[in-house]
Amino acid sequence: MKADKNVLIFLLSSIGLIVFPHVYHIPATVFGFFCLLLAWRFIGIWNQHWLPNKPVIFLLAVCGMALLYSQHQGIFGRDAGTNLFITALGLKLLEIKKERDLYLISYLAFIVAASQFLYEQNILMAAYILLVCCLLLATLVCINSCKAQTLAALKTAAIIIVQALPIAVALFILFPRVDAPRWMVFNQQRHDRMGLSDSMEPGSISDLGVSEELVFRVKFAGAIPPQRQRYWRGPVLSRTDGKRWTQAAFYEPLSSPVVTGTAYQYTLLMEPQDKNWVFALDMPKEFSPSLSLNAAYQLITLESPDKRAEYKVTSYTDYNTGLINRSEYKAATQLPGEPSDKIKQLVSRLHGFDSPPDNFIKQLLNHFRVEDFHYTLTPPVMEENPIESFLFNTRYGFCSHYASAFVYLMRVAHIPARVVTGYQGGELNKVGDFLEIRQADAHAWAEVWLESRGWVRVDPTAAIAPERIERDISVDRQFVYGIAGENSQAYNWLKQARQLWSSVDYNWQRWVINYNNKSQSKFLSSFGISDLKTMIYWMIIIIGSITAVLCWFLFYQKSKTTDQVLLSYNRFCKKLAKHGLFRGAGEGAKDFAERVKIKLPEQAADIDQITAVFINLRYGRTATGEDLQQLKALVGLFRA
Amino acid sequence: MQNAIHQLLDSANQVILGKPRQVRLALCCLLARGHLLIEDIPGVGKTTLAHTLAKLLGLNYQRIQFTSDILPADIIGACVFDTRNHEFKFHPGPVFNQMVLADEINRATPKAQSALLEAMEEHQVTVEGKTYPLPQPFFVIATQNPSHQIGTFPLPESQLDRFLMRIELGYPDHQAERQLLAGQSRHKLCESLPVQLPPEQLQQIQQAVTQVYVSAALLDYCQAIISFTRDSSEYHCGLSPRAGLALLTAAKAWAFMDRRDAVIPEDLQAVLAAVAGHRLRAGNSHSEAIVAPILANVAVH
Repeated sequence: MKADKNVLIFLLSSIGLIVFPHVYHIPATVFGFFCLLLAWRFIGIWNQHWLPNKPVIFLLAVCGMALLYSQHQGIFGRDAGTNLFITALGLKLLEIKKERDLYLISYLAFIVAASQFLYEQNILMAAYILLVCCLLLATLVCINSCKAQTLAALKTAAIIIVQALPIAVALFILFPRVDAPRWMVFNQQRHDRMGLSDSMEPGSISDLGVSEELVFRVKFAGAIPPQRQRYWRGPVLSRTDGKRWTQAAFYEPLSSPVVTGTAYQYTLLMEPQDKNWVFALDMPKEFSPSLSLNAAYQLITLESPDKRAEYKVTSYTDYNTGLINRSEYKAATQLPGEPSDKIKQLVSRLHGFDSPPDNFIKQLLNHFRVEDFHYTLTPPVMEENPIESFLFNTRYGFCSHYASAFVYLMRVAHIPARVVTGYQGGELNKVGDFLEIRQADAHAWAEVWLESRGWVRVDPTAAIAPERIERDISVDRQFVYGIAGENSQAYNWLKQARQLWSSVDYNWQRWVINYNNKSQSKFLSSFGISDLKTMIYWMIIIIGSITAVLCWFLFYQKSKTTDQVLLSYNRFCKKLAKHGLFRGAGEGAKDFAERVKIKLPEQAADIDQITAVFINLRYGRTATGEDLQQLKALVGLFRA
Repeated sequence: MQNAIHQLLDSANQVILGKPRQVRLALCCLLARGHLLIEDIPGVGKTTLAHTLAKLLGLNYQRIQFTSDILPADIIGACVFDTRNHEFKFHPGPVFNQMVLADEINRATPKAQSALLEAMEEHQVTVEGKTYPLPQPFFVIATQNPSHQIGTFPLPESQLDRFLMRIELGYPDHQAERQLLAGQSRHKLCESLPVQLPPEQLQQIQQAVTQVYVSAALLDYCQAIISFTRDSSEYHCGLSPRAGLALLTAAKAWAFMDRRDAVIPEDLQAVLAAVAGHRLRAGNSHSEAIVAPILANVAVH
C-alpha cells in the first residue's frame, strides 16, 4: 500500500507530540533513538528509497533491545515498560506497509499517550494528552475517509472525544478501583526536587527564596491563624561545626507538649517531595495515623513522599513542651569550639551571663534592630567563620544568617537553643479559600528552651525585617523581581489569575487524582451504592443509557428527512428489511423492486404498484397530492 | 415511436449476436445526438455494429480507415484547381456523410484525428476560409484499438470528451459465437437489412428525447455522482460539467427508450459506465470496473 502523504505527516506529527513529554522521564539515549527513527521515517515520506530494508530494520531492532537492556536490565517496571513501548513504536514506524500497520501504530501511540499518566497526572498534562489523542483520532479518520481533509477530520475527532466524555466520566466514577500494584512503584528513578535539606549553611535557603514552586497547600476547617503565627515546622537543626547546621540524633521527649488556646483543624495537601517531612503548624497535636511526631516535634510521614498526599492535622499555637533531658540539653548547647573574645565581649555586654534568659533574648533582638543590620537575599560571601564575620563585619544576611547567629550567641550564654527550618506564612488563595506555601516561603528561625515554658520560638528575622513575617506578601519576591508596588494593576491581575489557576489545580487534585478506592466507596455510599455488585449494575445502567441516547441521536440524524414521499417509501423498505431484503445504498427503487419480486412473488403486484407510484412521485412530472395519499395507503396496507 | 426503436434493436441483435446491451447503448448514444467510440481489439464486430446501425437508420454511410499516414485533406476534402473554369473547386471528403465510421482512429496522427474531431464538434468544415456545413443528422462512430497495442496514438482527454459514450464489445459468449460460426456472412446480412427508422423519424425522436423530464431528486443524485468523482481518491480528476450534461442527455435517451417520460436513477446508472468511463481515465480497466465505486457508494434517495 502506498500510504497517503498527508496521512503519514499527520500520524508522525501526532506521534512526535505524544512522545515529546516523555523527554523528562525516559533516558536521553532511548529518546534520542526514538527521535532518530521518527526523523528517518519523516525523511522517508519524501524519499521512499531511503527507508531501511529488512536487514537494517532487524539491526535497529537489536540496537533497541540492547539499549533497553542496558538501561533497565529487563522490561519489568514502569520506566522499562514505557521505554519498551516507545522503542517499539519507533521501530514500527519504519515498516509501514499496509493499512494494518497504520492502525497498529495508532493503537501503540494511544498506549504511549496513556503511559504519560504514570508519571504526571496534573490537569495540564491531561488536557495535553486529550489534545494529542484528538490528533491521533483525526489521523484514523483520515485513513478511513476517501479524501483526507485536515479540518474536517479534526472536527470529527473532536466530536468523537466530546461524545466519549460522558462515558469516560461515568466510568471514572463507577469503575471499580484497585490500588496500583507494587511493581508500578518500585525501580523509579528519583528526580531531584527543590526543597529544604536536612542541613543548613548560611545562604542555603536563598536558592529557595526565589522559587515559586508549590510545596503544600492548607485548607483550614475554621478560621485561619494570623500570618505571624503561621510557622510550618520542618527539620530541627542542633548540631553545628560553626558553619554547617545538621540534625542531631533524636531523643524521646520527656513529656508530650501541653496545649492551650485555639485549636486549628486543617487539611494538608503535600506536593511530591524527596523527604518524608510533613510541615505542620506549630504545634501539631492530633494527626492522621499515617503520620508520627518525632522528638523535635516534626511530623514524619510513613508513606512514600513522592506522590501528592493529603493529611488531616489539628494544631495549637499556644503550647508548653515542658522539661528536656540531659542529652537534649547537651545537644542544644553544643558549640564547635571556644568562642572568640569578640563574641564573648558581645555576649557579656548584652547579657552579663547572669540576667535571666528572657532578658538576653530581648537585648539581642534589640541589638539586631538598633545596630546597622540589613536584610537581603544576596548577602556577601562569608567563607571563614561566617557567624563572626556576619555579626561584626558584613551585617547583611537573611533568615538563616540571623537564626544561626542568634542560636550561636544563645549557646555561648549557656542557654539551650536550636535552629528550626520550615516555611513561614503562605499566601491565601481567595478563590479556593486555602493557603499556598511555596519554596519562596522557606524560612529558618530559632528555638530557645526556657525553664518554665519549654521550647519557645524566637524569630530574629522578625526583628530586622518584620514585613517578612507580618505581611501577606513575600518581601523576598519583591526584592528579587523588583516589582515596584504590590498594588499595581498588573500585579493584582497576575495574582488573581494565579490564584484562580491554583484553585483549579487544587480541586483537580482533590476530586480527580485523590479519587481512590476509599473515596470512591465513600462517595458512592452517599448514593446508596455500597457493594461492588450494585456499583457494576449502576455502571452498566449509566453506560447503557448514555449509549442509548447517543444511538438515538445518530438514528435521528439519519432519518431527519422531512420528505413525505421518502418517508413512506422508507417505511416500505423497512417492512421488506424484516425479511432480510435490504435496499443497497446505490440501488434504485426499480432495481430493488425487481430483486424483491423474485424473493416475494406473491406480492409482486403490490411491490410494482408501490414502486411505480413512488417513482412517479419522486421523479415524474405529473405527481399530485392524491398520489402521495395513494402511496401512503399502499405502504400502510402492504404486508410482506 | 418507441415500438420502432425496439424493432430496430431486435433487427440489430440479429446481426450483432449476444451484445444487446452494447447495441442498445449505441442506439441510445445516437438518439442523444452524441458520437460513439467503440474500443476493443480487432475482429469483435465494431465495424459491423456501425454498418448495421447505418443501414437500419437509412443514413449515408462512409467508412474512413485511419492509418498513420492519413492527412486531414483525406478526411475533410480538398480544393482542387479546375482547369476548365480556372478556379479552385472544393471536393468534399468522406466526412460529408450522415454517418461516418472512423475506423481505428487512434492509428492516425494527432493532426488527422483533430481534423475529424473538429468536424464532430462544429458540425461544419472550413477549407481555405470557406465554411461547408455537414449533412444532418451527423454521427461519427469511431473505433479504436486498446492503447497498449503497437502503432497507436492515444486520444488526448480533451478529444475523448467529444465522444458521448465509449463502449467495449468484448468477446461473444459461447452460444452467440456458435450461432455466428454457423450462420451466414454478417456482411450479406447487413446488406439485406431494411431501413427501420428513416432520418426524419430519427430527428423527431431526438427532439422528443430532449423533452424527457428530469426531477430535482434526480438532479441531486446526478450531482452526488459528480461530486463523488471529484472528492474520491479513486479518480485523478473528477467529471467535468460537460460530462455531467452528457450524463443527463444520455440518461434521458435511455429513459425514452424505456418508454418513460421521466428519468429515474436506474437510467443514470445504466449509462454511467459508457458515459463516464473514458472521461475518468482510471488506468486501462473496463468502464464497468471504473464506475463500480460510484454505483456502490453514492446513495440513491
